[in-house]
Amino acid sequence: MRKYLVKRLLTGLLTIVIAFVINFLIINLAPGDPIKTLMGKESDDPVLRAALEEKYGLNKPLHIQFFSYLKTAMRGDLGISIIYNRPVADMIAEKLPATILLVLTSGVLSLIIGTAMGIVAARKEGTFIDVLFSGFSYILNSMPSFWLGLMLIIIFSTVLNILPTYGMTDARASYTGMAYVLDVIKHMILPVGTLVLIEIPMYYRIAKSSVLQVTNEDYILTLRATGMSEKKIFNKYIFRNAILPTVTIFGISLAYLITGVSLIETVFAWPGTGRLVLTAINQRDYPTLMGIYLIMSVSIAVVMIVVDIVYAILDPRIRY
Amino acid sequence: MIRTIVNDKQLLFGILGLIFLLLVAVLAPVIAPEDPYYYGPDVLNKLGENGHLLGTNKMGQDIFSMIIHGTRTSLKVAVISAFISGILGMLIGGVAGYFGGQVDRAISEFINIFMMLPTFFLILLIIALFGNSIYNVMVVIGITTWPSNAKLMRAQALSLRERTFVKAATAMGESRLQILFKYIIPNGVFPVIANTTVGMSNAILTEAGLSFLGLGDPNIISWGQMIYDGKAYLTSAWWIATFAGIAIVITVTIFYLLGDGLNHVMNPKRSKGKGV
Repeated sequence: MRKYLVKRLLTGLLTIVIAFVINFLIINLAPGDPIKTLMGKESDDPVLRAALEEKYGLNKPLHIQFFSYLKTAMRGDLGISIIYNRPVADMIAEKLPATILLVLTSGVLSLIIGTAMGIVAARKEGTFIDVLFSGFSYILNSMPSFWLGLMLIIIFSTVLNILPTYGMTDARASYTGMAYVLDVIKHMILPVGTLVLIEIPMYYRIAKSSVLQVTNEDYILTLRATGMSEKKIFNKYIFRNAILPTVTIFGISLAYLITGVSLIETVFAWPGTGRLVLTAINQRDYPTLMGIYLIMSVSIAVVMIVVDIVYAILDPRIRY
Repeated sequence: MIRTIVNDKQLLFGILGLIFLLLVAVLAPVIAPEDPYYYGPDVLNKLGENGHLLGTNKMGQDIFSMIIHGTRTSLKVAVISAFISGILGMLIGGVAGYFGGQVDRAISEFINIFMMLPTFFLILLIIALFGNSIYNVMVVIGITTWPSNAKLMRAQALSLRERTFVKAATAMGESRLQILFKYIIPNGVFPVIANTTVGMSNAILTEAGLSFLGLGDPNIISWGQMIYDGKAYLTSAWWIATFAGIAIVITVTIFYLLGDGLNHVMNPKRSKGKGV
């Protein structure tokens, strides 16, 4: 167990370092010369250029530059946004809670709904319900998430006019206490609904195939032969064994949600990091984009490692 | 061969769908009633108005013609990016699995790391910095999605290198590179092909996502971009975004069906959980 833990942690650490390397390489390979930008288009004075390169450390060899980049980033300094002239880390920290609220809510809901659907479909394999759920999951799997969001807006806002489509709270009302919470929940229904629908197929497929697989194991046959009730076999043996793989999927799904949520936040004007991404793209605010990429990479690495460790604790058979 | 195809419903519908998509792409100028780049006088027409089957957008372009021509873009993105990803995956995975030892350990660790990085955002970052031509999009999707192919190829190579015919080739004095290209890759390619087909679906979705964030190529017609344009007219002209999205759903479903079908046929072992 300890060996496995150390190995996973090392891989995770390496992933984070690679994320920094990729980020650094992209900055360096990207077209455009920062010194040229600083000097202005007309000026081409070699003395000024040398002075600026000296000031920003751009005349040093690449690996030295990389280590100084790593050092500043480790201190939580992700640079300054060139549009808002504010530290990128602060801007991200401000927007993060709204994104996490969306990601966790939809992650947990899709886990429950998708797994439940998968179990039902596997128990009733070949029936109408199975065919219906499988078809449903197939189509959902092929949908661009942002398009599904737009369609939900058309249905629930334009046609039925029952749900808000924009933002996290009603800007015209200033609710407090319980009314505020209810308002946020009301605004969450469409974005969370979209994300849940998009995530369901992943859990559905894993839950269904693992229930089917466990049901066909020899020990289940033995249990049936002993005359144990079908209900008890399912609750005690099939369900427990079949539910394990969904834990790993939960990690992957959270990782996917962290990036995928940008598109959904754009659709619903949700005030999270996704909005930051969009404005950063439109205004070519590269430091902000880079900062978000780094934060995402690091949080995904952390989530994946935590999930792997939880999985190893739950299932002692797993030691890669 | 034909019997296998007809017996596997997913493969059958996948192949029929693919033929349909190819026909639409090839015959686009014949099927489309108008030039999709023609900015006509009929602005924001409703369905069927002035002979525009699916209406028009704010520039007076015919939506139906745009969707037909968009098939070309989607297929191009799917095929080229999946091809790059497949070739890279095959080479890297083949080398790792066949050479083994330190090489394998290094490459496997690299694959694991790469699979943990957020691919969509990496693609987004590169496109934002290096320019959003459709060719950039294809190449970047290709070079960021190879790890899953490499993993499959590695597993194949690991088992193939123990087989008698490979050992015989080694005994005959064939070089390691020769064996890799003559025996390992050709014999282990089938799961990669199936996976690449699923990769095509993801490539189409990725391109659409990039376009929706405003990182699409403005010089071509793509479904993702139509949804992006249609977003602003969601309440007044819902047809702009809706039908482009349906086109994406249909195309992606076809590639998923094809991928699942190929998987059943090419790895009979995995077909146990049928229909899943």
